[in-house]
Formats: sequence, C-alpha cells, structure tokens
Amino acid sequence: METVNPADDFIPAGLASLGIEADEIDLAVMAAFHQLLWPPLLELLALDTEGLEVERCPDLSKAPQ
Amino acid sequence: MSNGLDLGLRAQAAAIAAGDVDPGELLEATLTRIEERNPALNAVIETFPERSREMLAAAPEGPLYGVPIVIKDEWPLPWRAQRFGAAELMVPTAPAESGPYRALRDAGAVIVGVGNMHELGAGSTGNTSVYGPARNPWNTERCPGGSSSGPAASVAGRLVAGAVGADGLGSVRFPAAYCGLTGLKPTFGRSAMDGHHMAPVTTLIVSGPLCADAGDCRLLGSVLYGEKLAAGETTGLRIGVVRDTVSEDVTPEVAEACDAAVEALRAETGGEVREVELPGLDPATLAAILIINSESMAGTTPERLNKLNPELSPLARGSLKYRMLLPAAATTQATRVRTLMRRRLAALFSEVDVIAWPTIPAPAPPLDAPMVELPSGTTTADQANVRGAALANLTGIPSISMPVGLSDEGLPIALQLQGAWGTDELLLDVAEALERANERRWVESLPPLAETSPTEA
Repeated sequence: METVNPADDFIPAGLASLGIEADEIDLAVMAAFHQLLWPPLLELLALDTEGLEVERCPDLSKAPQ
Repeated sequence: MSNGLDLGLRAQAAAIAAGDVDPGELLEATLTRIEERNPALNAVIETFPERSREMLAAAPEGPLYGVPIVIKDEWPLPWRAQRFGAAELMVPTAPAESGPYRALRDAGAVIVGVGNMHELGAGSTGNTSVYGPARNPWNTERCPGGSSSGPAASVAGRLVAGAVGADGLGSVRFPAAYCGLTGLKPTFGRSAMDGHHMAPVTTLIVSGPLCADAGDCRLLGSVLYGEKLAAGETTGLRIGVVRDTVSEDVTPEVAEACDAAVEALRAETGGEVREVELPGLDPATLAAILIINSESMAGTTPERLNKLNPELSPLARGSLKYRMLLPAAATTQATRVRTLMRRRLAALFSEVDVIAWPTIPAPAPPLDAPMVELPSGTTTADQANVRGAALANLTGIPSISMPVGLSDEGLPIALQLQGAWGTDELLLDVAEALERANERRWVESLPPLAETSPTEA
C-alpha cells in the first residue's frame, strides 16, 4: 500500500477552500487520520462496481429485494 | 425480604412481581450501590434520586416494573439533555422524552442514572469522555469498551442489572465484549430510536440492551422493541465461519475460546459448522465509517467548526475537521458497497443461519494506551475492533456478542453472532443455547469488584 505523505496538499488545501481554521494539534490529528483512511479510501473509489444495481432508499430492516 | 440488588434483570422483575422484593428498597439499595462502586468505575455520570423515585411512584405494572436501569448519555431525558460524552455536540439538544425513555417508563422501569460514553460515540474503547473515562470492572486500568462504556461498566459492576446502549459501529458489542456481558445490536429500525439527535439522518445507529445474559437481553430488548422477542428453536443450527482477518488476526487465546464456543454451540444444537466466503469486509468497514461520518456531519458548517468548544479532545477536534474534507464520491461509493454486501449476506443466509467470529480480536487494552498486539502487528484497538463490527451496521442485520471465556489476565473474551434481517430472536435463542453448552459459566462470572460490597452486609 502506498504511503501517504501527511504533508501533502490535501489537508491544507481542503481547509483553506472551506475556510476552516486549524492549529498545529488539529493538523497533526488530521494527518494521522489521513494516513490511516486515505489509502483504503482510494482503494474503495477504485472498486469496480459497474453494473451493480444500487438499492435506492433501501429498507435496512429487511433483506435486499 | 432480600433487596434484590444482585439478581439479574428478569429475576429482579420476577421477584418484584411476586412480592419478594420491594421496588422502593431495591431503588434505594441501587442508589447506595452506585455511591459505593461508581467512584472506582466512573460508569454513571449522573444520578437523580428524586426523579427516579417519581418514576417508581408513577410506574405502571409493566414487564420491568420497579427495575432500575441505566441509560447511555446518548438520549435526552425529560429532565436532562444528552451530552454524548462530549463538551459539545454539533447539533442543539434539550431535555425531552426519547423512544428508549418512553419504552422504559411504559414498561415500569426506573431510570437511576446516565451512563458514561466515549466522546461523541467515536471510539471502541471508552477511554475518552468529557466526564473522564469509565473503567472496566474486571480491571479498572483497562478499557471498558465504547462507545457504551458506562452502561456496560454499570452492569458488569452490578450497579444495575440492565442498561441501554447504542450501536452505530459496534458500540453495544465492544463494551459487552470487554466487560463480559451479552449485548444485542438489533436489526436496523426494530428498537426505539426517536429522540436521538441523529435519528432523522442515521442509517446505522440502533439502541440495544446490555445485560448479564441473553435472557435478560430478551426482556430489556422486548421493551426497547415494543414487542415480545419470543423464544424459539435452535435445533440443527447452521453456523457459518469466515476464515478472514476478522477470525484469524486475533490473539491465540481469543481464537481458541471462540473456536471452542462455536464447537460447543454446534454440539448443543446438533447443528453443523460450515466455512463460508464473505469477500469485501475491508471496504465494507470503510463504507460504514464514511456513511456514519457523513451522517454525523449533517448540518455542520465551517463556521461551526471554527468555534469548537476548547474542552473537546484534540482527537475529536481534528477528526471533525478532517471529516469535512472527505470527498462525496467516496460516500457515494460506500452506498454501492452497502448494496453489494447486503446482497452477499442475503445469499449467505440462505446457506447458514448465523455467522460467527470474535467480537474483539484481543481483550480490553490499557486505558492509557489502547493498543492491541495481533498476529499482524501492534495496532490501535479502534482500528482492530471496527473491522469485525461495522458490517452489521452497514447492512442492517442484527448481531449479538456474548462472553465465551477469560484471558490469562482475567479479561473477558467474546464471540459475535450475526443473523439475517429480523432474526434478532434467533440470535437470543442461539446465545441461550451457548450458555447452556457452557453451563452458564461465563455469563455468571463476576469481576472481583462486583463480588462483595458493604451493601450486602
């Protein structure tokens, strides 16, 4: 799995674009979350789900139709 | 006449109904017990004796008449807004009736306290809370599990015989497992949820009972469901086991205890064990995390995040800000994974009745360093725990955790069973079958802290 550089642009760019302020501790925590979540998130996005008929408003109390 | 304090939930209810226990004496003894034991546990973060006495005075003769219950700091009460274990929530809250409150009140139960919880419900250990962490009665230096930490520690410490938790990514099952209790995560939508601050948006969170055994969960669960969870048959049970990270990347003693429990269950039910395939557990876990993240951030604005209460933990502050950055495309993909896993489970449940794997890969870690050592290496308990729990929340299926052993360090080990949608009753039946197979050894085990108290003197 590719290692993500916590210092990449994602976090500062995202914060700046949304106008969210963050101190050094916030940034360190966010970097840790990013390192943990981002690689599997990219894998999730790359999953081939083409052809899957997605349930619309599924009733989660029941088996899928 | 005994005060009934150390009876289980259904025994308390039966003793009161039979006139063998006076509910007023039980309430006062429970309040005294909380005063005695809670300083070591920090399980109950607020009591309100006058409110409890008023509840008892007005209680109808329902199935829990006079039985003291702890409720998690996740629902409002008419006299108290929930705090969600945090210095602040992202949405406004106020005192109010909630579904679980009404269900308990109408069943005649007496709410004696509010249970501590992991801050914002965002952890499997219970080691972070605005009230300070709850502690595990089996070892007060260990995590009680989260996020329903206080409800679990309350029952394991025998402060009360039953508690109401909530489960969005395992938050009933983890503390049940760490504290040696039985905890039921209902099928989505079956148990009372209204009044919860996320009720309008959540597709994962459910209320659920935490008790010493499955019979008590059946009783408290019936109250939360608003319908009787009837007992049934388990003869010829088809048990599916998945040879994947969830069952293999666990400590040797967890693997051994859970394997033995599955075999005992097979023998007790005259059933069979089948190895089954369930691909996609890792993306399913991330999908559940992404969905609950997006639901929990509903209505949150950047301006709001710039005014966070400084008393929120650094982890919560950074986590909330990071969640705002997650791409919508990932959440959309998560809903596709949800469909995929629901279909896979539907197919699987035509082959087996239940799927079994360990609830937690390792027993409760230290409060001050919640890490676990697994065959794959050392990792955070949160990271390791969630991969065995999130599937049930993502797909809506019910799940139950029950104690199946103690580690060399004297900490509980737990097995999780998951069934098809609406088979909550079957899971309780199966848990009871396993209790019979184990001669109730594990459900009747008491932590040292709960063995004696001046209250009994």
